[in-house]
Amino acid sequence: MQAIQVEDLWKKFRIPHERRTTILENIAGALQILEGKRFTYEEFWALKGINFNVNHGEFIGIIGENGSGKSTLLKVIANILRPDKGRVKASGKIAPILELGVGFHPDLTVKENVLVYGSIMGLKNSEVKKRVSSMLEFSGLERFKDAKLKNLSSGMQMRLGFSVAIETNPDIFLIDEALAVGDMEFQQKCISKFKEFKTEKRTIVFVSHALNLVKEFCEKTLFISRGETVAFGNTEDTVSQYLRHIRGST
Amino acid sequence: MFQFQYSELVRNLTIKEFKLRYRNSILGFIWSLLNPLAMMIILTLVFSTLLRSGIENFPVFLLTALLAWRFFSISTSMSLSSIIGNAPLVTKIYFPRWLLVLSSNLANLIGSSLEFAAFLPLLVFLGMKITPLALFLPVILILEFILITGVSLILAALNVYYRDFNQIWEITLQIGFFLCPIIYRITLIPERYIVAYSLNPMTRVIESIRRILYYSTLPTLADFIIILVSGLVLLLLGYLVFRRLEPRFAEEI
Repeated sequence: MQAIQVEDLWKKFRIPHERRTTILENIAGALQILEGKRFTYEEFWALKGINFNVNHGEFIGIIGENGSGKSTLLKVIANILRPDKGRVKASGKIAPILELGVGFHPDLTVKENVLVYGSIMGLKNSEVKKRVSSMLEFSGLERFKDAKLKNLSSGMQMRLGFSVAIETNPDIFLIDEALAVGDMEFQQKCISKFKEFKTEKRTIVFVSHALNLVKEFCEKTLFISRGETVAFGNTEDTVSQYLRHIRGST
Repeated sequence: MFQFQYSELVRNLTIKEFKLRYRNSILGFIWSLLNPLAMMIILTLVFSTLLRSGIENFPVFLLTALLAWRFFSISTSMSLSSIIGNAPLVTKIYFPRWLLVLSSNLANLIGSSLEFAAFLPLLVFLGMKITPLALFLPVILILEFILITGVSLILAALNVYYRDFNQIWEITLQIGFFLCPIIYRITLIPERYIVAYSLNPMTRVIESIRRILYYSTLPTLADFIIILVSGLVLLLLGYLVFRRLEPRFAEEI
């Protein structure tokens, strides 16, 4: 049984040469077309035919340069972005932990956010309330439970997001550079949490530039470059291929 | 369309919207009462004292319609931004996006019902008679809610792609205020326009609420049918527009 199946996945973004976000701009644009100027935009294919599978209980790494499509891939798996071609099948509850946050509203307090997030993840309010204290304890933010989220630092927001997401008991974690903004102490905490996940055989997809972490945890690794798969398989081999790739291009 | 697994989420989002609506001002709920109260006083001064409209008990005549209109105008203009206002959620995690529109409208249904309740003593003091007909008020508000939700789905989805939609909607609402029988009687409308005029579902909502609270009569069957049918048509239309635009919300936001 596979946790995630990604089949021939293509995703394109439109980059308009002049971005129109109002009706007035669109009317003005339409008038220009009448005068013979074309409305143009560039198509940017962020993902070009990605294929890979993740089995239940696997810890998978994704590596690649900035802008290679890693985050887009995670967002498509999380169903936040929709693919233009191909498909993604994921079985089970997914918790995406993307760059800076898991889906909190800046104007709500920590406690309110936890409730809303918990119900998005399918937990009953009563269940969330039971776990609130352990969430706050792991994040170390008990003192700030009535503070609005926007008043927390980015590091604190990430701590909270991570702590809350892991307590909602998802089947699949999608983690995107989550550790980058945390301090040393919190990174250590997360790493020991990762070890726990590994022994519990949870399914994790882990995007990171921290190659030592990828090597330590991931059984298999996907290396993508400019939206295309360069390698997928054994972590050691994939990472060294990535390193050769970087050296080759500089 | 509605799945039980999200009922708790709808409840939490509704509470969130309700809090956000009232918390950022010191007087909170009181503020939302001051606006119609001020409107009523000003318009009563203008229309019954200066212009001598000759409408009996003008404050009650006006306030009943004003509250019904406010429910529509505030709900639609707030849910207009319910997708972009929740960008931090929409770009980070998946859940059916229309729940955001629904919760925003539910929060306003509660808010407007509270407004009606809060003004009840004043209306009675001003000479309104409370009859068992008042039991129809919630029915009309629910029908208005269906209408509002249909309109809101269209507005919220379009506003993700066209950011000046809120300005356009604001002007539309201003025109709508005068196109509905809020500050005047429906008898003012010339004969040849009356059919088109009375097909406007908001006219029917306002007339129904006025019938119940001001004239102490039952809304007509035509009132019910026009509100319900246009509500369901708009809901279907809203659903179709929303479903079509929803997949690219996260990248356009």
